[in-house]
Amino acid sequence: MELWYTHLMRETIDQDSLLVQGNRACALGALDAGVRFFAGYPITPSSEIMEVMARELPAVGGVFMQMEDEIASICACIGASLTGEISMTATSGPGFSLMQEAIGYAIMAEAPTVIVNVMRMGPSTGRPTTPSQGDVMQARWGTHGDHPAIVLAASNVADMYRLTIAAVRFAQRFRMPVIVLADEIVGHMRESFSPEIAGRYRLTSGDFDFTETYIHPEMVREVHPPHELGTLIHPHVTGLIHDETGFPTNDPKKSEQFLRELHDKVVHHRGELCLYDVKNVGKGRVAVVAYGSCARSARAALKLAEQEGIPVEVLHLYTLFPLPVEIIQELARRVEFILIPELNLGQYAREVRRLAENWTTVVSMGRIDGNLITPRDIVDRLAELVGKYESA
Amino acid sequence: MAEGESSVAEQEPSVAEPRTIDHYLHTDRFPHIWCPGCGLGTVTAAFLRAALELGLEKDRTVVVAGIGCSSRAVGYLDFGTVHSIHGRALAFATGIKMAHPEFTVIVLTGDGDGAAIGGNHLIHACRRNLDITTILFNNNTYGMTGGQASPQTGMGGYATTAPFGFDEPSFDLCRLAEAAGATYVARGTSYGVRQLQKLIRDGITHPGFSFIEAVTQCPTEYGKRNPPKGPVQMLENLKEKAISRKKAEGMTPEELEGRIVTGLLHRDESVPELTASYARMLERIRKSADE
Amino acid sequence: MSEAPAMTDGLLSSRPYVEVRFGGSGGQGVILMGVILAVAGTRDRRHVVQTQSYGPEARGGYSRSDVVLANAPIDYPQIQGLDLLVALSAEAARKYAGSLRRDGFFIFDSDEITSPPPMDANSYGIPFTRLAVETTGRTQTTNILALGAVAGLTGVVSVASLEKAVLSMVPKGTEEMNLNALRRGLALLPEEWKRPSI
Repeated sequence: MELWYTHLMRETIDQDSLLVQGNRACALGALDAGVRFFAGYPITPSSEIMEVMARELPAVGGVFMQMEDEIASICACIGASLTGEISMTATSGPGFSLMQEAIGYAIMAEAPTVIVNVMRMGPSTGRPTTPSQGDVMQARWGTHGDHPAIVLAASNVADMYRLTIAAVRFAQRFRMPVIVLADEIVGHMRESFSPEIAGRYRLTSGDFDFTETYIHPEMVREVHPPHELGTLIHPHVTGLIHDETGFPTNDPKKSEQFLRELHDKVVHHRGELCLYDVKNVGKGRVAVVAYGSCARSARAALKLAEQEGIPVEVLHLYTLFPLPVEIIQELARRVEFILIPELNLGQYAREVRRLAENWTTVVSMGRIDGNLITPRDIVDRLAELVGKYESA
Repeated sequence: MAEGESSVAEQEPSVAEPRTIDHYLHTDRFPHIWCPGCGLGTVTAAFLRAALELGLEKDRTVVVAGIGCSSRAVGYLDFGTVHSIHGRALAFATGIKMAHPEFTVIVLTGDGDGAAIGGNHLIHACRRNLDITTILFNNNTYGMTGGQASPQTGMGGYATTAPFGFDEPSFDLCRLAEAAGATYVARGTSYGVRQLQKLIRDGITHPGFSFIEAVTQCPTEYGKRNPPKGPVQMLENLKEKAISRKKAEGMTPEELEGRIVTGLLHRDESVPELTASYARMLERIRKSADE
Repeated sequence: MSEAPAMTDGLLSSRPYVEVRFGGSGGQGVILMGVILAVAGTRDRRHVVQTQSYGPEARGGYSRSDVVLANAPIDYPQIQGLDLLVALSAEAARKYAGSLRRDGFFIFDSDEITSPPPMDANSYGIPFTRLAVETTGRTQTTNILALGAVAGLTGVVSVASLEKAVLSMVPKGTEEMNLNALRRGLALLPEEWKRPSI
């Protein structure tokens, strides 16, 4: 039987060892997940994703389009998605900003697609080749109106591969756009990893299953049936508030019901959507919650802190939204405080704080000079905090 | 992609009676939102009569619209219909057509939707020569939002956002489309409905990007502020101003000032259509992989 | 990771966690050096992360490529203390020498860097550009020759893996020439090029 990760396996250097660039791994994940439509517009530091798709998609009979801008790119992806095609686009901050209106449309029309945002320093043109995590809240709230969001964050090259696959599956399953956040470091680094680790993530409800059976054929009512063009039902698809017929409605009751259903299909499946990893469970006096590149610093800090006698727990989040409410609240009950290192001014720390503040103190550690937070920085801050809390 | 998939055509019962455009309409969605005297329904009907002539299959035809009065047409049409976002109908349509070249894809847009916010997508769609038929309903204003100036309001025209008269020139949208690479360009009016129907029909059968400008009237918003007032007067004005391309050929620019040149304005069969050339590229790649 | 093949005897091959930086200016092939070393490290069954940083110019601006090689999965992907600095420009030597550990290796192009910064690390000054021209007639092979010297002097990756990595990464038709450059670099004797430490 053919392996489902055939595109990845073509990258092997020697037997089972791989060395892949992050952006390339993302494109390979998309191909292995069945993405057959890509529309994009070049932008640093995400262009390699598009370049790989340009080369590889035609070879598998897919469609690659370089569009006139990022707005057209995501709109073309949504158009393809409405015909049942699995579509994806990739961009960085300025392009992600341009896509926001259409992301709202995809949420409203329940059109599955994947948007990869390889974050760079902003706002505006910022520093294009410099890593950042400044788009976290934009990924959550970038488009207007009350809406749900599924946002994943990649911390290494293996994540770029397997989270892209997870994003495609989630998009298909929940019939909505899914955003994958990476940063310049992860996008441009080359990293070795074993194909075996492309396998699984820890989930609150068990392990994530990457195989195609993940997309259940019969959907529960919580997720709307697809509006698929060309399938005899010739549907009407609209960004207006609509009822189950797909046609617009101004009925207040139906409007609320529809919007609540959009939210509920995500919130009710939080256990399925929240991918995470926790190190040193129950052994820490303090915890570090991190995602993306900062999660790597946090993992390294864990080892350093152990050597220095500070017991730390590390919660590495792969899913940022929907918020892993239960996971964070359980952690908050266990530790004296939570430190959140981020390459922004505390965007995710605010989310964690409002979930955890009844039980523990949440401390934000932001860095916005374009450099990573080092493991040493984290351990020093932890030591400072432990000292502070002991003397208090 | 499309290749190898079952293309199940809708089984239509054979009917003895000739069909009317109701065949393609969700009449249960009526009354429609358009004002009395509005020309958008007339243009939509011309499109639907063209569709009847061609026997377009509901399930193999996708009509994509943006935002605005004209784009609301898709809410009444019994095809696969996409009411997309402002200005982006052509970008959605590009995704649909590239993913499923076997679909007949029609874009309905307006002068604000297609020429202002969507102008960039329009020129690039023309350039790509993808087999999409775009009908741009030009009523010189933003009707839905209450009569603001559009790129087609014209010098000296009045609008809620041009209370002292608009001081910007308009596009010649057909020349724009031709220059950008559209391979079928035509213009009609909501007065000349038979001509418009024929132009749309030929546009749909043309294998490449077809652009049809349908000049029409908005008595409620544009007509309220600009002469002539009233729908009948506006239609008569269209009749008087319309001139065939043939007649226009012998006329000076001065004589043509204010006239609406109608008919087929440009047609080029020599440019490869995008889905076809993309399919040929896939074939080339497949062959070289086999070797 | 599975069992590692035999490596060249040398200090860096025995370190479980090795941090390497190649520094120079745009056009010297510094990024490629990092990528080739990363491929070779992967062949050696090491865990590898390669990152890079460069100025906006394709030529002339600064350019650097970092590689971390380890026996266990690598968490923090960037440099914390260099085990090996390879400098092809005076600016790179000046800028990065401070990141070198006391037991590290400093290898530099002695044609480009005439007054190397004083340090405790093992220093080797080698006229890479001149040797490359002597060996292949092409300055473009300088980076591959330097890679050979780096592997020969430090054992950071195995010779077999490095040869395979070079062959898989250099342009088609230049394999022979680049192998010659690599072997010339590998053959350099440490005692001939070692600088006294300060």
